[in-house]
Amino acid sequence: MSDQLSRLALSDEGFVFNPQTGDSFQVSETGIVVIRLLKEGRSDEEIAARLTDLYEVSLEEAQHDCADFRARLKQFELA
Amino acid sequence: MKALHIGLSGINAIDNPGPGIAVARSLKEDRELGARIFGLAYDALEPGIYMDWIVDRAFIMPYPSGDGAAYLERLGYLQREHGLDFLIPNFDAELPFYVKHAEGLAGRGIRTFLPTMEQYRLRGKDRLDEVAERMGIKLPRTRVVNSLEQFYEAIKELGLPVMVKGAFYKAYRAHTTAEATHHFHDLVAEWGYPVIVQQVVSGEEFNVIGLGDGEGGSLGLVGIKKISVTALGKIWTGVTIKHQAMLEAAERFIREYRWRGPFELECMARNGDIFLIEVNPRFPAWAYFATGVGVNLPARMVRRALGHDVPPAPDYAAGKLFVRYTYELVTDMDKFQKAITRGEIP
Repeated sequence: MSDQLSRLALSDEGFVFNPQTGDSFQVSETGIVVIRLLKEGRSDEEIAARLTDLYEVSLEEAQHDCADFRARLKQFELA
Repeated sequence: MKALHIGLSGINAIDNPGPGIAVARSLKEDRELGARIFGLAYDALEPGIYMDWIVDRAFIMPYPSGDGAAYLERLGYLQREHGLDFLIPNFDAELPFYVKHAEGLAGRGIRTFLPTMEQYRLRGKDRLDEVAERMGIKLPRTRVVNSLEQFYEAIKELGLPVMVKGAFYKAYRAHTTAEATHHFHDLVAEWGYPVIVQQVVSGEEFNVIGLGDGEGGSLGLVGIKKISVTALGKIWTGVTIKHQAMLEAAERFIREYRWRGPFELECMARNGDIFLIEVNPRFPAWAYFATGVGVNLPARMVRRALGHDVPPAPDYAAGKLFVRYTYELVTDMDKFQKAITRGEIP
């Protein structure tokens, strides 16, 4: 997990604030779950499995969404 | 407790605000200090003159130009008639005068807490390469030029767009050679040589306000990001941040130069790199932002200068929002009249 990711402040409403850069953005309910698990240091496989528990989604689709989400985090230099 | 009479300039709380009101407000918030604020204005329409809940007395001052005799005489009057314990110059242009006369003023019982002349000169844009190197951060590619020929060579080398800057004041972004040349001539006419030509660095604008104790130690630092700025580039909304690389660079600045007094570092951040844009050897106009998050640098400065107890530099929270707003006051014409005729209010 990157330092930036571990420092992110995440509210229950999905408002994310990066204290290092001052950037802020909004994530969906699923995004909140994923960021919380990433901050806990969970792997993509563990996160995808958790998403299948919470939502009606196949493991393959959850893995794909996780990869997409991580790509977006990279775009923001957070992963 | 005896009131502490503090004179400060920069009470022009306008769309391009001076730092005076932010500094005065911070001092007032340290109630133990017992600060009584004397606003030093250059114009009868500086709003601070009329903000009597922050500025207790206001005085119209002559400019500290030439040998500064008229300015010193005016300060002498303030001290004789009202008592004057401390002075905080808040304009860059005043600093050479104050630094030069700091010892003389101290001999008259008027204290200051300022950088040395050598430290002050570091703010010159022709010295920033050395400063950035010692701070361990980058400087946008920069050329210092002393002729039109060198200027054209610099543009060719750096490519457009470029920033065209005076050694101490003013900076323009130019997208064409004609535009850059126009700014070059204006700067030479107003400020003379050298002119600085600098690569335009895109990225996010980060700033640090800090206070050095003159012995290499920090009396407090706060990092911010400007979220929105006015047409003049002045902060309108901002947020506190904890950008480690930038804060460490600020601490190195204090340590390396044994900086004494307040300062502001203007930086750009891009892809993890920090670029130094400017060093301002005074409080910025947004100084109250730091006070609002618990780091009252003006009060800490005065306490340190007077030998009072200064607790360790407090920490601050990232994610605190700064919102500037407009406000109006209505008062009697009598005050304006007094400012014009007597040069003093009330």
